[in-house]
Amino acid sequence: MSFGGVKHSFILAIPPVWKYLCKMLTLQTWIVQALFVFLTTESIGGLLDPCGYINPESPVVQLGSNFTAVCVLKEKCMDYFHVNANYIFWKTNHVTVPKEQYTVINRTASSVTFTNISLLNIQLTCNIRTFGQIDQNVYGIRIISGLPPEKPKNLNCIVNEGKKMMCQWAPGRETYLETNFTLKSEWATEKFDDCEAKRDTPTSCTVDYSPVYFVNIEVWVEAENALGKVTSDHINFDPIDKVKPNPPHNLSVSNSEELSSILKLTWIDSSIKTFIRLKYNIQYRTKDASTWSQIPPEDTASTRSSFTVQDLKPFTEYVFRIRCMKADGKGFWSDWSEEASGITYEDRPSKAPSFWYKIEPSHTHGHRSVRLIWKTLPPFQANGNILDYEVTLTRWKSRLQNYSVNDTELTVNLTNDRYIATLTARNLVGKSDASVLTIPACDFQATHPVKDLKAFPKDNVLWVEWTAPNESVNKYVLEWCVLSDKLPCNPDWQQEDGTVHRTYLRAPSKGPTVRTKKVGKNEAVLEWDQLPVDVQNGFIRNYTIFYRTIIGNETAVNVDSSHTEYTLSSLTSDTLYMVRMAAYTDEGGKYGPEFTFTTPKFAQGEIEAIVVPVCLAFLLTTLLGVLFCFNKRDLIKKHIWPNVPDPSKSHIAQWSPHTPPRHNFNPKDQMYSDGNFTDVSVVEIEANDRKPFTEDLKSLELFKKEKISTEGHSSGIGGSSCMSSSRPSISSSDENESAQNTSSTVQYSTVVHSGYRHQVPSVQVFSRSESTQPLLDSEERPEDLQLVDNVEGSDGILPRQQYFKQNCSQHETSPVISHFERSKQGSSVNEEDFVRLKQQQISDHISQSNGSGQMKMFQEVPTANVFGLGTEGQVERFETVGMEAALDEGMPKSYLPQTVRQGGYMPQ
Amino acid sequence: MKVLAAGVVPLLLVLHWKHGAGSPLPITPDNATCATRHPCHSNLMDQIRNQLVQLNSSANALFILYYTAQGEPFPSNLDKLCRPDVTDFPPFHANGKEKARLVELYRIIAYLGASLGNITRDQKVLNPNALSLHSKLNATSDTMRGLLSNVLCHLCSKYHVANVDVAYGPDTSNKDVFQKKKLGCQLLGKYKQVIAVVAQAFQTGDLEAYSDPRS
Repeated sequence: MSFGGVKHSFILAIPPVWKYLCKMLTLQTWIVQALFVFLTTESIGGLLDPCGYINPESPVVQLGSNFTAVCVLKEKCMDYFHVNANYIFWKTNHVTVPKEQYTVINRTASSVTFTNISLLNIQLTCNIRTFGQIDQNVYGIRIISGLPPEKPKNLNCIVNEGKKMMCQWAPGRETYLETNFTLKSEWATEKFDDCEAKRDTPTSCTVDYSPVYFVNIEVWVEAENALGKVTSDHINFDPIDKVKPNPPHNLSVSNSEELSSILKLTWIDSSIKTFIRLKYNIQYRTKDASTWSQIPPEDTASTRSSFTVQDLKPFTEYVFRIRCMKADGKGFWSDWSEEASGITYEDRPSKAPSFWYKIEPSHTHGHRSVRLIWKTLPPFQANGNILDYEVTLTRWKSRLQNYSVNDTELTVNLTNDRYIATLTARNLVGKSDASVLTIPACDFQATHPVKDLKAFPKDNVLWVEWTAPNESVNKYVLEWCVLSDKLPCNPDWQQEDGTVHRTYLRAPSKGPTVRTKKVGKNEAVLEWDQLPVDVQNGFIRNYTIFYRTIIGNETAVNVDSSHTEYTLSSLTSDTLYMVRMAAYTDEGGKYGPEFTFTTPKFAQGEIEAIVVPVCLAFLLTTLLGVLFCFNKRDLIKKHIWPNVPDPSKSHIAQWSPHTPPRHNFNPKDQMYSDGNFTDVSVVEIEANDRKPFTEDLKSLELFKKEKISTEGHSSGIGGSSCMSSSRPSISSSDENESAQNTSSTVQYSTVVHSGYRHQVPSVQVFSRSESTQPLLDSEERPEDLQLVDNVEGSDGILPRQQYFKQNCSQHETSPVISHFERSKQGSSVNEEDFVRLKQQQISDHISQSNGSGQMKMFQEVPTANVFGLGTEGQVERFETVGMEAALDEGMPKSYLPQTVRQGGYMPQ
Repeated sequence: MKVLAAGVVPLLLVLHWKHGAGSPLPITPDNATCATRHPCHSNLMDQIRNQLVQLNSSANALFILYYTAQGEPFPSNLDKLCRPDVTDFPPFHANGKEKARLVELYRIIAYLGASLGNITRDQKVLNPNALSLHSKLNATSDTMRGLLSNVLCHLCSKYHVANVDVAYGPDTSNKDVFQKKKLGCQLLGKYKQVIAVVAQAFQTGDLEAYSDPRS
């Protein structure tokens, strides 16, 4: 394999002009590789020559049976490992088989026997223990378990007309093995190709050849797996007896003008009818019905292409379908044909319309206005489209008056005489029987009126009962109207036979089924279908919608009968509502089924309307926050992670000798506004007691002498901590000795500035800390300050001065710091060093003040000014703040790190 | 030899091609007894009659489909080009005994089956897009194959006739295109004519067969 790597790097290295050569080389290299692999494989094959083998090699065992395997060791191996068959042990699925199941056959062979195999897949390995402790695998086999196939049952075939024969069967129990099912078929004189069942459909197979009718074919199924082969029973049949014809097509329905009760069906049979006889099933139903009626099968038991269905209702739409099969009943029914529909022809109306009248008040003397009213016939009585109604009026001994009316009422002016009115409904075919009505004369008085008329509700209907007069009655007419404050009395009537004396006002027999068309957060659109005329039992006057929540009261809404939808408003969101509807005729009402719906929690788009602005606001806030943080990052940094000075980088010499005495000229600068002091950058010395500058010079000299010893005591700590300084240098009011003693015991001294966060301290405080850790800004405690105040208060000198100005954050990278860093290089400061350091500081400051006006440190510590190198502006600023340091008097070429106050450290 | 190689070999191939031609000969040798893969069914005569009806019902449509597919001049010159003048066509005697009619039927169907095989082969080359014709030819061949099986079974089981000498029509493989079409058309015309006679003969000859099955 190393050839590959060599070759690859070689190709990468060569120039393009050698590509062809490279290809050749590559080819050769691959050939060499192939040879190498081949030879390696051969040699490994030799090396992997097993130490023995197991017989049988690939056993397939019947579940529940016994199984014995023999492991035979090779002589060569036995000699090499010094083992024999006694050293053999067996494992199944990595678990050692108990030795009781072993049998040592001879020196080289050992067998293992398993009884009642129950696992489907067993890994069996033969192993030897060599050298008494090393288990070595000799050989392994996999025992597959399963069951032999059961005899396939229920073999049956179907020949879909125009397609090939398909046979199916029940395969029997699960075998857990790969079992092949083969459908075999033959004529008496020849055999057909086998049909192999597909893996995914092992219980059926479709043969390759086209079926040949009228020749018996013998078919059977063979099921075979590793444990055996079994054959189903043979079935012998004529494929024509297994045929499923194509359904009749082009079914059409036509009516007859002569007979309104028949429809004629015609269809086209499948082509198979040319050589077999067919029988049919014909089913029909009215258009609105859901169940089918069937023509008696005996009427359709022979081949035909048409059929006339009788005894149908006039002017009714019927739907038909048809299927066929072999007439002798052998084979299968075809699928149902496409449905076809037809309408029977019209017949004359089978019943006279219900007829009544109302006499309306008339101001004309001697005449009266009579409104003749009648009801439309339901479809099953109209038997067609009603074209018009014919009304005739006959006055006593007078001639006939004819009216043709399309509406269901007619108002006529009649005299006060008695009239006979007749009404017939007319359709395309003819007229209905006549309804006859007598309009009595104006002065007619009924001699035997109906008595004891009473109405009472019972069984959800309104019953009306009366006492019949003694005389015979042709028929009764009940007339009523709904009492309503809102609606006028709209009279309705109902005719009853003369023999009855009790009836009920026929309300709808069925209520409307309401459903929701659209449900919103606070509203729902309900819709319903008009009640079929058959169940209306009168004129629907109005609908009432009742709706309620689970716990709420029911609310009723009246809806005009012309509507089929209504919008419920002011609903509560996310609430389950139950709604039902009643249809009212003048006789009464009937509830429909209850329907429930739930209003959604949010209106459509409401969630988006909430989420989007919130997201936008959040994004905006985040953006503003980020921008704010970005702008104020320095401020935030000061608050969150103030710079902690590294004590290892501090040096006592850095703060004292390099900074010239300065007056704090800016009130703001007097305050440690941020309290973030890290590096000592400024030593401001204000001679509050206005010591002569000469004393300062003296002090400088003394300081130079003193410094060596002072630094020796506070080396490495003085300038590192915020508000810290070398205690010995300033805090003691005693003599140098005292200071030295103190410095020898106090490792850290802290100069606590009295100002904090813009609060001007009352006193200059020097605090002594016993801590050995650098004091942080946050470690300042008022009590400490107070304590120091008290201690130093005895000195009577409370100059409000800033002696040390430490800047911790904004000017970390200022040249001064680097300058301090550089100055720190000398751990022991001698005078020479000090002077050199000072010079460097000056030069640094020059460059910094020219290049960086924003360096606050330098504005506050104009070291250059001390040496007359400052700008004019800077000088002016000093003056404005009333600095009284000896600038005007001429500054010395060095400065004094000293406090000039009474009781303070004063270099002598 | 060339003719033999060009004609006989394809013919043999066609004859042994299950979906392309009928079986030409009873397999049993002269002196062999009838042997079938499984016992023949009892209603073979009904099936034979139905098969003849089936063939007869489709013969005319096949003929029309054929000459229509060949294009002119065939549709307009049926009398000349498709006249059923087929030499050596096996005879049929409608008034014969059932056994004799069955033997003659066997010869006719064997002849027709082989000829249909040739026609099918030729048409797939000459009219490769006439799928409806190909389908109809195949269906007719299949039916004839079934009919041969039934007739053989019946002759064998009822009359113990194991061998029937058959003759085949002329091989068309070495003919030109027009001759192939013309011979096919003549054959199908003859087939239409003969099958009607045979079907009719077997419809009316049942009584005799049932009255004297061993005649």
